[in-house]
Parts: sequence; structure tokens; C-alpha cells
Amino acid sequence: MSHTVPGFYDAATNAVAVLVLLIEFGMLRQALLRDQVRLYAAQSLVISVLALVVAASRAVPELYAVAGFSFVLKVVAVPWALRRLVRGTNGEIAGSGRFGLATQVLLALVAGGFGFFVSGAFGISSTVLPESAFGMSVAVFLVGFVMMVIRSDVISQSVGFFSLENGVSLAALVIAAGLPFILELVFLFDLLVAAVVFGVLIRVHHRSTASLSTRPLTRLRG
Amino acid sequence: MLAPGAVNALQVITVVAIAPGVSGWISQFEARLQGRCGPRILQPYYDLGKLFRKESLAPEGASWVFLAAPGVAFVAYALVPLLIPVLTSYGLPLGYQGDILGGGFLLSLGAFVVAVAAADTGAPYAQIGASRAITFAAIGEPVVLFITFAVAIVTGTDLPYAEAAATRASAAQLIRPGHILAGIALFMVLLAETDRIPVATHSSTIELGMLGEAREFEHSGPYLAVLKWGGQVKQVVFFVLLLNLFVVPWGLATDGNLVSVVIAIVTLVAKCAGLGVVIAVIDCGFGKLRLFKITEFVSAAFLLSVLAVFTLLIGAG
Repeated sequence: MSHTVPGFYDAATNAVAVLVLLIEFGMLRQALLRDQVRLYAAQSLVISVLALVVAASRAVPELYAVAGFSFVLKVVAVPWALRRLVRGTNGEIAGSGRFGLATQVLLALVAGGFGFFVSGAFGISSTVLPESAFGMSVAVFLVGFVMMVIRSDVISQSVGFFSLENGVSLAALVIAAGLPFILELVFLFDLLVAAVVFGVLIRVHHRSTASLSTRPLTRLRG
Repeated sequence: MLAPGAVNALQVITVVAIAPGVSGWISQFEARLQGRCGPRILQPYYDLGKLFRKESLAPEGASWVFLAAPGVAFVAYALVPLLIPVLTSYGLPLGYQGDILGGGFLLSLGAFVVAVAAADTGAPYAQIGASRAITFAAIGEPVVLFITFAVAIVTGTDLPYAEAAATRASAAQLIRPGHILAGIALFMVLLAETDRIPVATHSSTIELGMLGEAREFEHSGPYLAVLKWGGQVKQVVFFVLLLNLFVVPWGLATDGNLVSVVIAIVTLVAKCAGLGVVIAVIDCGFGKLRLFKITEFVSAAFLLSVLAVFTLLIGAG
């Protein structure tokens, strides 16, 4: 089985998409909540940069605005709010998952691999990004799901949810870079609503259980 | 013009000759980073010379396996440069006698005989070292396997020369995610296999922090010298694999011309020194992982290598 080498643009954008996926795995592995939020900011930054690159090289001017908005919201605002929430609590280290780290990675790898290969069946074709980036985005949100399921603290779960949205952004870039601008903005403001809701939930949860872990919730109460 | 066979032999001689120097360079650079004066770059050569002049003792009850192991391991490690592109970009007569797996078998054979010798001594530290070294090498094996798969998908073969040629072919190949991921995974395997931080401490005398280094505690004199030298050769073999297959496969001789072979040797030394700087910085910048955390390190490498294969398979690599 010999292989054709993709062009420079395809190879570079693919490398960026892989970087998004790697950061997702990094979040899964990261034990410090602060650093998890930092990784989320980095992932959002990579997505914004990718939108910029696509806007410049494939002449889709709306994407400049999308890149700007997503930078302000996802790289600056949401991580700032999350960091404030983390600082307000005494939890530093994420409630380690239900499994050991190596097992977590293997599980996420299986989920990610599933996403990779299943996405090929959709037959998506794109004019602005290589189709394989779509597989990457599906893998990103499956790994995000795994992270939300396995991690048992509210911060990790909300970071998992937000990074899920990053996966969706990546998918949107592949499938519908020419999506009506207003829809793209709606996605972003959806995220803002989610951030507010999660913020309130984290506060309430922390006040009622005095911890960030979701373990106390499994106890039956009469 | 040099005959192909002569160049082939020269590959082995070069690796064997520069191996102690590379170790010396890393430890000197590391010492400088820590604000120490550090040993001379040539210190490992003097150490080997000193050991060769000393008498050797074997533990009571140790069999011929104990005495044969250093030599067998050294030969196994020194044979690998016959199979990989050390100095030339074209395949040499013995270059196609074995593929990446063949080289892997030779490296494993070396580790195996050293472990058997350590077990033969009956000494606790040597046995603990051997047991740990083999355990973690076994955990790292799937990573190597997946790197081989990645190479096989890119080149259609698993010959080291083909991978080097593919890397040289275009700039797009260098930034392909599959290539980058496999390269990083190989680098992590290199750190684990050469007993570097964050997997093991290389230069300390604390037995509990050692993996591979503890295996040679019972050897002495010329046997210890050969064993140490073999370890250094193995390190350079890994350096060459990473550098000439994945990172910088340039500066290799394209024919048997004496000048270009000499240039290739000089370039190889420079490349190894460059990688040595990176290793020394990592040695100084990170702490040693606890023994039970090493699986997490290996799982990260495994993740990268599997992703490399995945991205290549879905056409993103």
C-alpha cells in the first residue's frame, strides 16, 4: 500500500487539526484544573488561528469575524471566568477519573479511533479544508464525551463540554466554512449561555457539597 | 572512491567510535547547564581505557552466560548500524539484510542477554534492574510496532532507507501529522530505552532510581567496559534512527566518494551533538517519574503512535 503525499496546505491544516485533537487528549490527562483550563484556552486559540488561515487562503471573509469572536470569547472570556471559579474554590487537583490514566487514554483512543473511521462513511467533501479534518473533529468531540463521562469533578466536565464545542467549530470549518455568518455567531453565543449555566451550576454545587467532585451526588438522600 | 562494503563497515566503525564521545558530550553539557564544570567530553574513553586495564571478577556460581553476555550484547548493538542509513542515503550491500523489525530484534537480543546475565549473578540489585528494564521495554514495544506501521503506510515497506528517502523527498512530508506524531513517539521511546529522564536517572548512583544501569552492577573490568560501551552504541543507534529517518536525513553521502563520506561523518557527529543538547536540557528540566507513573509516559507515546497510524489511514497523514 503506497501513499500519496498531500500538498503543503493540506498537510499544514491537517497538522493543526491533529494539534486540536492532541490538546483534547492533553486535557483528558491533565490533573491540575488550572492547567486544564489553560489547555482549553490553547485549543480555542488553535481553532481561531485555523479559522484565520482558512479565511486568508481560501478567501472566506466572514471567517475573519468568526476568528475574532471566537478568540475573544473562547480564549479570553470563558477561560477567565473558569479560572475565577477555580480560584474561588479550594479544589486544585481534578477528582481523578474512575480509571487509571493509562486506561483512560486507551478508552479515549478507542472512542477517537471510532470517530476517525466512522466519519469517513459520511462522504463529506469540502472546498476549504481536507476532508480528513472532519474525522479529526468527530474524534475531538468523542474524546470530549469520554472526558465528561470519566472525570468526576464539575470543572473537568464543563471544560469537556466547552471543548466539545471546539470540536463542533472544527467540523463547521470543514463542512460549512461558507455557513451564513449569523449561524456561526449563534453557535458562539450558545457557548456563552452554556458558560453562564455551568458557572451557576458549579457555584451551587460547590456551596451545597463543599467540593468540586460529583461523587457526593451518588449518595442517596432521604 | 570507497567500495560499498568498506562504507558499510565504516558505518559500524563510526557508530562504535563516536558512541562514548556522544555520552561524554551530553554529560558535559548537562553539567554546564547545572553550573558545574563537568567531566571532559573524552572522559568516557578514559573510563573505558581504565576498565580495560583492570582485572575482572565474577560472582561465585556465575556461569559462562555471565561472561559471554557483554560481548554478545555489544555485537548485537554494533550490527544494527549495518541495516540503517548512518552515512549514506542509498542502500549498502548489507543494508537490506534486515528491516526495522530486524534491527529491533538485534536490540532486543542485546537487552535479553544482559538481563539473563544479571539474573545469573543472583545479586538483588542487578536482578531488580533487569526485571524493570525488561518490563518497561515490553510496555514500550507496542509503540515501536505502531511506529513501524506508520513507516510502512508511508513507504510501502519497512526498510529504514525507504523512510529516510520519503522524509527527504518533500517539505510537505516533514509537516505531515502522521510523520510528526511518529517522530515524537520515537523520541519518547528513545528517552525510555536510553535510560534518560523522565524515565530513569542516567548518572546517579542511587540504585532505586535506575532501570537499565543497575543491570551491570556485578560486572567488572573489561567485561564492564564492553557492557558500558555497548550501552553507548545502543544510544547512538537510537539517535541515528530518530535523526536520519525522521528529523534531519540530510548531509548523507550519495555515493562512495571519500570526501562526501567524511562530510557525512562530520554531519552525523554534529547532528548527534544537537540531539544531545536537547536530551541534556530535558535531563535538567524535568524530574524522574515515579516508577508507577512510567506507564503513563509510555501511554502518551502509545497515543501518539496510534494517532499517527490513524491519521495516515484516513488520509490525513
